[in-house]
Amino acid sequence: MSLQTCIRWLSLGLLSVLLAPGISAQKADEREIKEFQDRVNHYLSAKKNQDIANKPTDSADKLAQQKQQTREKTQAARPGAQRGDIFTPAIAAYFKKQIASTLRGPDGDKVRASLRHAEPLPNVQLKVNAKYPRNLPLQSTPPTLLMHLPLLPKELQYRIVGSTLVLYDMSSDLIVDFMPNAVPAV
Amino acid sequence: MKQNRRTMYRNAGLLIAVCVLAMAGQMRMVHAGPRAMAMWGPSAVAAQAPAAGKLDIRIPLQDKSVRFAVIGDSGTGDRAQYEVAQMMEAYRQAAKFDFVIMLGDNIYGSHSPRDFAKKFEQPYKPLLDAGVKFYASLGNHDDPNDERLYKPFNMGGERYYAFRKGEVGFFALDSNYMDPKQLSWLDQNLKDSQGKWKICFFHHPLYNDGRHHGADADLRAQILPLFQRYGVNAVFSGHEHVYQRIKPENNIYYFVLGNSGKLMTHDFGPPGERVKGFDSDQSFMLVEIAGDKLYFQTISRSGETIDSGELPRRHP
Repeated sequence: MSLQTCIRWLSLGLLSVLLAPGISAQKADEREIKEFQDRVNHYLSAKKNQDIANKPTDSADKLAQQKQQTREKTQAARPGAQRGDIFTPAIAAYFKKQIASTLRGPDGDKVRASLRHAEPLPNVQLKVNAKYPRNLPLQSTPPTLLMHLPLLPKELQYRIVGSTLVLYDMSSDLIVDFMPNAVPAV
Repeated sequence: MKQNRRTMYRNAGLLIAVCVLAMAGQMRMVHAGPRAMAMWGPSAVAAQAPAAGKLDIRIPLQDKSVRFAVIGDSGTGDRAQYEVAQMMEAYRQAAKFDFVIMLGDNIYGSHSPRDFAKKFEQPYKPLLDAGVKFYASLGNHDDPNDERLYKPFNMGGERYYAFRKGEVGFFALDSNYMDPKQLSWLDQNLKDSQGKWKICFFHHPLYNDGRHHGADADLRAQILPLFQRYGVNAVFSGHEHVYQRIKPENNIYYFVLGNSGKLMTHDFGPPGERVKGFDSDQSFMLVEIAGDKLYFQTISRSGETIDSGELPRRHP
């Protein structure tokens, strides 16, 4: 074996040692994203079985009835729902890491300014599978932060309440799951 | 007999007292002006509309132009909202605008059927009866599910949507939740738009001199490059409960109108981004687009014109 080949093999070895933690961290992230998406899809398929229809209407009374039915059917679809069903400890750790790195990143100042600008909400009592607190405005979620979190289906949204990240079901006005202390104070 | 006379005197005394009190009350109302005399509600709104001949109309009312009104942060259900609505109806009769864009916070507080009636259907009843269409965008106090499905808001069941009137393309955005899907929708729809004018409207302002909220820097960083790339001409936002016309930036005109129901008085710091500001009363806007000009007039609840002008289309 020539010296040149030796050096080549040595360099490759060194490179793999250096890159290995990064690759395994990336794989771990992909695993958590996949797990999160599976849980979200499971939630949606349970809901789908309930034959829920939200249709545009002229009548505010009909809207209220529709919303009530959607909420009740969605709640019935997961009677034993509890915190952590979707944001498992491993998934929660991934989300916290993403939020922290977005706030530390090059757009961190803008994201923090946006969070301050968005009428920050107090930490209020939240409950899984319960209605989003009545009369509480929806705090806007900074677009840059949304770019760093896994994509959601149309009817679900990430919402921030105080320092808590909420997975919110817009069509039934329900809290699907939530993660306290996800967003550091700005 | 004595008993009867005493009763008669007492009744007469009571009658006189009631009359005196009623007259005093009426005098106080007259002294307080016509606004205090008015009842508060849809019938009073229709009854109080000023005559069209007395209005100060500063838009040109050209043939085949696109004419609309703008309201923001309107849905309080309070007296001020009804009075702005009344003034809008008076101007509609003269200016014949046929649609209204809503800059969010269309319904504050709870969203029961009673709230939809009190905070939207009743104040704007004369406009709705005249066939005026309302196009809503969502604010942080709105319920995205209720409002996108409420047909009188013309959102087509979506949080964000586009529509066209003549040569003008309108893009209603949901600035509460500007996720990658909405950004990509905006990119595609601005790119595909054949409108000579492109107008975006949404709740959170990109520039803002108001002290209560300020501007949303992160939102600006994400959507402004698209506005510039595809030649958006004008942007209307609410959220800050005042009126502001902002210095044009990169050939885009910005208006903030968040005082069609709510009001934040003494909200301005030293002039920064704004060319004109108004924070002492509620207001709404009239806009007319004809050829390469955008004409605007901002009118207070009492009918005073607080800002007006014409702006050329700056993008090719």
